[in-house]
Parts: sequence; C-alpha cells; structure tokens
Amino acid sequence: MQTLIHQFWQLTFSGVAQGFIYVLISLGYTMVYGVLRMINFANSEIFMFGTFATVVVSRDLLGYGSDSQPIHGFTLIWSLALALVVSMIVSGVVALLVELIAYRRLRSRGTNRLAPLISAIGMSIVLSESMRLLTASRSVGSPRLLAKTSLAEIGGANIRVDQLMVVIVAPIMFFVLQWFVNSTRLGKGIRAVSMNEETAKLMGINLNRVISATFLIGGLMTGASAFFFETVYENTKYNIGFNLGLAAFTAAVLGGIGNIRGAFFGGLALGLLETYASAVLGSQWKPVTVFIVLVIVLLFRPNGIFGEAVQQTRV
Amino acid sequence: MINLRDAGANAWAKWNKPKRAAFSIVAIFLVGLMPYAGFSILNTPISSYADVLVYPVGMYVLMALGLNIVVGKSGMLDLGYVAFFAIGAYTMGFLGTHTHLNTWEILPIGIALAMLAGVLLGIPTLRLRGDYLAIVTLGFGEIIRITAVNTIKIGGPNGISNIPHPPSVFGLTFDIMHPNSFYWLILVLILLVIWMIRRLTVRRPGRAWEAIRQDEDAAELMGVPTLKYKIWSFVLGAAVGGAAGVVFASKALFISPDSFTLNISILILSCIVFGGIGNIWGVILGGVILAYLPERIRFISDARQLVFGITLVVIMNFRPDGLLPRKKREKIVTKSAKEVK
Amino acid sequence: MKKKVLAGVAVVTVALGFAVSPADAAVKTYTLAYQGPLTGDNAQTGIDEIAGVKYAIAKFNAAHKGSIQVKLVEADDQGGAAGAGQVAPGIAKNTAIIGLVGPAFSGASIASFPFYKAAGLTLISPSATRVTLTDPTVASDFGGPVFHRLPSKDDKQGPALAAYAIKGVTAPVVYDVNDQSSYGVGLSGYVQTALKANSKVKLAGADAVDGTNAALDLSAVITKIKGANANVVIYEGYYAQAASFVKQLRDAGYKGIFASGDGTYDPGFVTLAKDAAEGARLTASSAVFQDAGAKITADFTKVIGTAPGTYAVEDYDATNVFLTCITKGATTRAKMATCVKTGTFTGLFKNTIKFDANGDVSGTGFINGFLVKNGVIISAGQVK
Repeated sequence: MQTLIHQFWQLTFSGVAQGFIYVLISLGYTMVYGVLRMINFANSEIFMFGTFATVVVSRDLLGYGSDSQPIHGFTLIWSLALALVVSMIVSGVVALLVELIAYRRLRSRGTNRLAPLISAIGMSIVLSESMRLLTASRSVGSPRLLAKTSLAEIGGANIRVDQLMVVIVAPIMFFVLQWFVNSTRLGKGIRAVSMNEETAKLMGINLNRVISATFLIGGLMTGASAFFFETVYENTKYNIGFNLGLAAFTAAVLGGIGNIRGAFFGGLALGLLETYASAVLGSQWKPVTVFIVLVIVLLFRPNGIFGEAVQQTRV
Repeated sequence: MINLRDAGANAWAKWNKPKRAAFSIVAIFLVGLMPYAGFSILNTPISSYADVLVYPVGMYVLMALGLNIVVGKSGMLDLGYVAFFAIGAYTMGFLGTHTHLNTWEILPIGIALAMLAGVLLGIPTLRLRGDYLAIVTLGFGEIIRITAVNTIKIGGPNGISNIPHPPSVFGLTFDIMHPNSFYWLILVLILLVIWMIRRLTVRRPGRAWEAIRQDEDAAELMGVPTLKYKIWSFVLGAAVGGAAGVVFASKALFISPDSFTLNISILILSCIVFGGIGNIWGVILGGVILAYLPERIRFISDARQLVFGITLVVIMNFRPDGLLPRKKREKIVTKSAKEVK
Repeated sequence: MKKKVLAGVAVVTVALGFAVSPADAAVKTYTLAYQGPLTGDNAQTGIDEIAGVKYAIAKFNAAHKGSIQVKLVEADDQGGAAGAGQVAPGIAKNTAIIGLVGPAFSGASIASFPFYKAAGLTLISPSATRVTLTDPTVASDFGGPVFHRLPSKDDKQGPALAAYAIKGVTAPVVYDVNDQSSYGVGLSGYVQTALKANSKVKLAGADAVDGTNAALDLSAVITKIKGANANVVIYEGYYAQAASFVKQLRDAGYKGIFASGDGTYDPGFVTLAKDAAEGARLTASSAVFQDAGAKITADFTKVIGTAPGTYAVEDYDATNVFLTCITKGATTRAKMATCVKTGTFTGLFKNTIKFDANGDVSGTGFINGFLVKNGVIISAGQVK
C-alpha cells in the first residue's frame, strides 16, 4: 500500500504504457468479435509473429547487433518506422492466413459456434509450435534501436522515451482506426456486417472481402502492438503471446467485446489495474485480482463497461 | 460415406432388450480388455501403454463427458473446467497425506467440494452469456492454479508428494505395478457418468437443458427456471471433474500446480468438439483420439504438438460437427427411450 | 476404393511402426534415456540439456565406431508431474534402457521415483536441486538408491548466493524476487533464511513473479525495489527471465547489485541482457561449458547445431558417467547401479565425480561465484 501512495505517478505512467500495448492487441480480438461473434484464439500468435518481425528487421535487415550503439536522428526514425510497418504487415498477413485456413470454410458453411473456436485453437498451436521448432524453444533478444533515456521526472515518475513513444503513437493509431471504421466505405461495410450479416449481404456487400479486411485491420493493430512491446522489452519467445493475449482478451471483455471504444478503455484499465494490484498485493496475485475485478464488473454490467457495439447482442 | 451415428442408432432401435443387454455387456467386456492389447500396433512408444490408457486417455474421456454436460447439453462455454479437476486432486492430496482417510472415503468429499465450488462460481456467473461466461470460467481456472502455487500449506509450487494409493477392493490391487486396476476404476466411473447422462437426458433436466441450449429466452418465457438448471448442469459437470481429480491424484502419487494449467481445459473442450459435441459416443471418441494421438506419435518427439494442431484444424474444417455429430434436433422423448424405462 | 483404403492402412501401419534397423552383429548397441521438458513452457531447459547428452553420446559413438554404439531415448515429461507419470512407467518397462539422465526437474523427479525404484533404473539428474531428493529422512521425496545428481543442493547454494550478493556492500538493503517455480521458491527460502540470520542485512522486501510468462511486465516490482532504496536485488529463477528482469531494472535506473543462482548461470543470460548484465553476480557449482575451451565449444556447436546452454556441463558429465560404465561392462541395470554407486569418474574439467550413499556428489558443498565482466562470465572463486 505504501508503494502505491509514494510511487503513485511512477506506477500510473508504467501502467498506462502497458495499457496501450493491451489496447492495440485488444483491437485484434474486438474487431474480429465485432463481425464474426467469435473469439479469435490465434490472435496471440499473430502478436508473436509481429514481435519476431521486429527482431528480424532490426537484427538481420538493418544489421544492428547486440553491441551496436543506440542510433539517433533521422536514421533512428526511419529504422523505427520500418520495423513498425514490417511488424504490422507480418501480423496482418498471419491474420489473413488465420481467417483463410481456420475460419473461411467453416463460416461459409454456417456451422455451430464452437467448431471455428477449436479450429482457431488448432491454428494457434500450429503457429506457436512452428516458431518453437524454428527457434529451438529459446528466447530471442532484439537489438536496442531506441536508447532508453529518461526525459523528465514528473511527480516522481520517470518518463522514459520508449514508453513515451507508446503513449503518444498508440492513441494516434487508435484514432486513425476509429476514423477508418466510422468514415470510410470499407469501415461502413464492416459496421454493417457487424450489425446484421444477412442484410449487409442483401445490400450488396462482399462478405468475404469485409471479413478479410477486418482480420487484416485487427492484425495490423496487433502487429503495431508487437513492435511497441519489442522496443520496450527487447525480448521475445515462441509463447510470448499466450499471457499477453489472455490479458488483452480480458481487457476487451472488460470494456465490452466487439466495441472499439471498449477496447481502448478496457486496455488502459487493465494496464493500470495490474500495476496497482502488483504494488499492493504482490505480483503473484496480479492475475487473481484482475479476474475478480472482471467478475464484479460483469455482474453489474453483463456486457462489459461500454456494452457490445451493435444493437442486437446475439446473432 | 456411411453415417455411422444413424446406422448405429437404427440398429439399436431395432433391437429388443436382451439383445441390447448382450451387446452392452460384450462391448464393455471388450473395452475392459484394452490394456491387454499393448502388444499390437496400438502400443505407445516410450510411454507405457497401460498407463497411457489411465492418464491421459481414461481421464480425458471422463472429464470430456463431464464437461459435455455443461457445453454440449446446456450450451454454456466453460473454459475453466480444469479447476474442478484440481480441486478433486488437491482434496485427495491434502486429506490423503494429513488424515487417515483412504481414497474411497475421500472420493465423495472431493466430489462434494468440486460441486460446492461449482455452486459458488455458478450463482454469480451463470447469468452471463456466451463468451462472457467463457472468460470468467477461464479466469476461475487460473485463480485456482495460482492460489495453489501461492499457498504453502498445500505445498506451493512444490505440490504434494507421497499421496496414498487406494486400498484394494474386490481383489484388485491399486499400485504402480497395476495400472489396469486404475483403468477399470475409471471405466466404471465412465459407465456411471454415461448412465447418469442418459437418464437425465430423457427426463425434466435434459429437456430443460435442451431448451436452454436452443433458445434461453424462449425457455425462460415458457417457465423453465433457467438459472436453476444451468447451475445443475454446471455442478454435475464439476462433480465428474472432481471425481477424475481424486483418482488422478491417487494414481500419480504426486501432484503440483503445473498439472492443472489452462491447456487442460482447452484440450478437454477440444475433445468434445472434435468428437461430436453433445453426443456421448462422439465425445468419447474425441477424448480417446486426442489423448492417445500425442502419445502414439511420441517418436517424432518435438513435432508432435505441431501434428496435434494440424489435426485439429483439418478435422474441424472437414467435419465441423465433429467425428460423430449429434442429430440436428435431438428427440427428447423417443419411443425407444420410453421402452428403456 | 477398397484397395485405396488398404494401401492407406498399410502406409499408416508402416509409418506408425517402430523403425527397426538391422543391427550389425559385431556392434553392441546399448540404450540410455533422457527425461526432461522437451515441449511446453519449460522446453528451453530440456532442449539445452538434451544437447549436452547428445554431444557426449555422439563423441562416444564416434570413438567406438564398430564396437559399441549407444542410442538415446527422449522422454518428454514437459517438466511436470503429469508428464512424468506418463513416460516414467514406459521407460521403466523398457529394459533395454540401462541408465537415465534426468529427470530435469525436482517435481517430475518425485513423480517418477516409484517407477524407477521398482525397476532398479539408475538416474543421474543434471538439474534437480531440491534438498529433500537426497535426504533419506524425508521418505516421501527421497530418490535413493536409484537417484543421483550433479548440481549443488539449494541449502548449499542459498547461503552462498546470499553471502556473495552482499559481498563488499557496507549497508546491504536486499530485495528478493523468485519466479514462483519450485526451483525458485525453494532456493529463495534458503537465501532469505541466510539473509535474516545476518544482522547487518536489511531484507527490504520479497516478491514473486510468474516464471512461465515470457512477456512479463515487471514495472510494479521494480517500482517497489526503487521505493525501498534496495542496493542488492537477488533473483531466483531461470536465465531468460533473469535477463528480462535485469534489463528492465537497469532501464528504470537501478544502479545496485543484481545477483542470481545457477538457473541464470548461462551464456544466454549475457546474450539476452547485453549491457544490463554487466556486473551481475551469479553462483553455481561448476563452470560453464565454454570454459572447457574454444575447441570443444566449437565442436559442440558443430555437432549439435546450437551452442552449449544451461546445465550443459552437468549433462555432459552425467552422460559420460553412464558411458564410462558401459565401457567397463556395465550393460544391465543391476551392473549399472553398482558401477555408478561405486565408481570414480572424471568430469569435463578433469574434476573427480564420486557419488555418496544418498546420491549427491561427495566432497561438493563449495559454490563458486561468478561475475559478468565485459560481456563474459568470469569466475570470482569459491564463495566462503
């Protein structure tokens, strides 16, 4: 408890930075859930591939080694941008593959809701096991692109440049996504399918295209999150997505799964909650606290804080 | 392709009572002889065939049948089923090493505690629907495991060792040299669960579950006390999980929290959907295949989990309703069901 | 159609059947096994370990071409009790196997003991450190007479780690963090006991983090460490997460000492943590494989495909104990048991290995301290 009082701003800043990483992964779950009403169990592996993409870009493509000095200026910006874009593309492509292999056939035949779930679980095992065999189960370190300079100290909180980047860029990406879904033609298509698949189809919307686009966008956001995660933690492993995916899924449910705004607030709330709970009760009780809070929230708001996005709760 | 389910059901419907009894007895007898088939192609490399039949095969089938009451019969998605298995196992572990009670005396206690946990979890959460229930149950499973890791009284991460074997009954010895005894014990439990499910399905609870699964709002409107029956199905599922846990602990002699991870919950759910959700025979087939397959292909060592994943994706894509699906609309009261009565 | 099905069945039958290779009459073939986690969350440990076993066997087979060949059975227990209960009975029944390197983890060891005791199969574990495994007064966990191990026990390492971590610090304020594994929690208990016994030390706090979570956000723990003004942080866990921990600590501006035990004693720790590993203090009972020389390290990497990792020395030595016994004619389980119990062996560093009655290496009890300097782990001598 003392830690919480004395180190409140430090904890809050770390919590927010972690929260934004969750926000972007949650979008991967929430986008897919919004249109398909299905949990994309393979999203954690979509994330995992994104982290490896960042490593490959900075280590192999740009040739930064473990001993190279942190870079500055223009080189830094375009290196970061390249890593971000490649991670997003890799995650996006993996997401499309997941849709194609695990979902499309089942969806077109209109089966029960559990078959795609198990098929996605199978896909998740295939993806993580392939990476495990490729990396011999080892952790892989990522070279340091961004020096972790402390910029300022506000209220005892150490504002670090890498965390600050997450806190600034992640919300921008979120608002771009929100604008996209609200205002573009494809975004409107996604919303239409999310509200009523049958009607949307009758209105001439190409269902396959819209659903692929949804997976792609969710994958892009998850890939961006993977890039941010790698710049902060510089470490990845074949099973890195498991716990993060679980946390992000919890965040999505907390906010109201299928609701884009819900993912934003759910992710932030989860990041803060985890940090505060670890400070007060000890890190070992972090997941327990999170789930108890989740149950309490769901008791009072059975569809999450912001509720489901669409008018009808079930298809 | 022949429809095995319908062919089987038709043959069964045409038979009279003695014919059915004879078939059941012969079938049970043959299944009981399975441990002696280890010399054949069925043998598992590296791991011991007779022990594999107990865990994972027997245990997975038992748990899959229990979870099927929740997921298959009343349509609630439970991702934390391992919690009840863990509660049963820890009851056996703790009481077995701290008291003089033996396995047979602890079995009802373990079942009761698992049921109690089911009620405590069910009352607040079963109002939730679909995927919200899934994440809450998933959380419950993790809470039980993390609590076990952090509670030194029950061994913390070290777990509990030296759990006693069951004392012998009917001349059957239960120890590490006699895995067959455990296999037959689980077989008896499986038969009991099958009997229970078949009885309940044709009676009021079965009809209520079916109504809830098809349309919960309509069921509520028609006067079905949905929450009550949902809790019932949850608690019955928990009881089966608890029983499996007690037997597991007294076979393994040693338990630790890492035997009760989320993966087990997901695997058991996969068994159900893979085999044929809602259909007892499908669920059993799914449990047998998914538990047995990774053991059978142990010689490919590292890659066996990959093969497991590929199998899930391929089978689900080509048989989305599982290997032995249930009928589109299960008839609740059929002529044959009345005859059984 | 029927023919196709039959052909399919035949293919499956062949694919599933054991690969039986015709053995040359003059060549004698013997089988050893390794048991540890080769899949699952702890696979990293098992894969590092089995590499050491395979290297020792490859060298042996090359040296004895045409006379003796040794095969290896890989028993994957996923590091847990449930997995051990599946493989141990099978290994015990397979009488061709005359010795087993492993089990890797203490919990899996306890779950496996009943089967191996009944079958009289000799075990040499490279990494199971729980004290009770070789303590005959704790009947429930005791692995004798079949169990032997090479690493030091937690009750030896704990006090040494505590002493080494605070060495040279005038007013040590210690924060202790373990990884919630049975290894980490066990070692942490002995470390904390030793710290509490020292009146000069202030134990500022203790925490536990989830060691199976590869993506751990440790910011809350680190905030607590900084809030407590700790100048010594001790972490009990494995190297990948230790690297992540020390990196996050340094990034947050922590300037004090970071110390960890033999789970972190791995070149991979430095590779992953890079600059942040500088100055880290580690304890272990042996040296790293790489200290045996660049030539053998390069050969290892060439034969196995990866560089030697955690417990590679212990695995190499454990396997060589069995292989030495095979050359001495210990070709059955009973003979192997006698040979391992009574023999004297030579380890990778020309050290003498001899087991005492309970299965520990006799004469050990000293722990070496190590320091990360300029990206290399260097020895700092025995910890007193």
